[in-house]
Amino acid sequence: MNKENPLSPHIQIYSWNISSLISISHRVVGVVNIVILTLICLWIALLLLGEANYEYIKFFLQSFFGKFLIVGIIWSFTFQILSEIRHLFWDFGYGFELKTSKISGLIVIFGSFILTILIYLFGKGIF
Amino acid sequence: MINATKKWIFLKASSIVLVPLMAWFVINLVSIYDKDYVDIVNFFSTQPSKFLTSLLMIVAFFYSSLSISEIFEDYIHDEKIKNFANKTLNIFAIIIPLFAIVIIFNLTL
Repeated sequence: MNKENPLSPHIQIYSWNISSLISISHRVVGVVNIVILTLICLWIALLLLGEANYEYIKFFLQSFFGKFLIVGIIWSFTFQILSEIRHLFWDFGYGFELKTSKISGLIVIFGSFILTILIYLFGKGIF
Repeated sequence: MINATKKWIFLKASSIVLVPLMAWFVINLVSIYDKDYVDIVNFFSTQPSKFLTSLLMIVAFFYSSLSISEIFEDYIHDEKIKNFANKTLNIFAIIIPLFAIVIIFNLTL
């Protein structure tokens, strides 16, 4: 294969719009999610330390920062889920029209925030 | 079939599996994260969460390594650095989920 393939231009070259915002966010969130998954693996590993030591982790998770972290994880996963569904629609040949693409982009942005709130409330058994 | 096509098919197949798994995990995460040690160990050590969490780890790290290697392809100019970054990423994406799965299958109260 040709090793002189053209590289993507850096992000500051593009003019900002919904599609570029979602595209770049999708990549950033993808990288953030591998960090989150590693933290989840670490959380599972810390369970091996036993019940007494786990109290420190529980204290952190019940604090404001712990809750903020959990809400951040929900948003990050939700954003990736919606953005991935948008990509899958494209793969099946739907949603390429400019107007549809903008609407689906807005659904990803606003939907991720709305779903984050709904998932948190649902998970906490509030409704 | 060229490598790029294979990579694209693996990426799409893993994303189809990943979407429901991520949704399942994130809903359960909210309901357990602030619970007691016993409740969390119970969650990870009983079925179906034991199997689904393990599957999530395998698919998510596989998907992430494929998609991050695309970023390396797009933005890393030096071929040697790119190869090193890809190898490091692949090793990381095998070791971390494997480590988590071994722990999940050894969790007991």
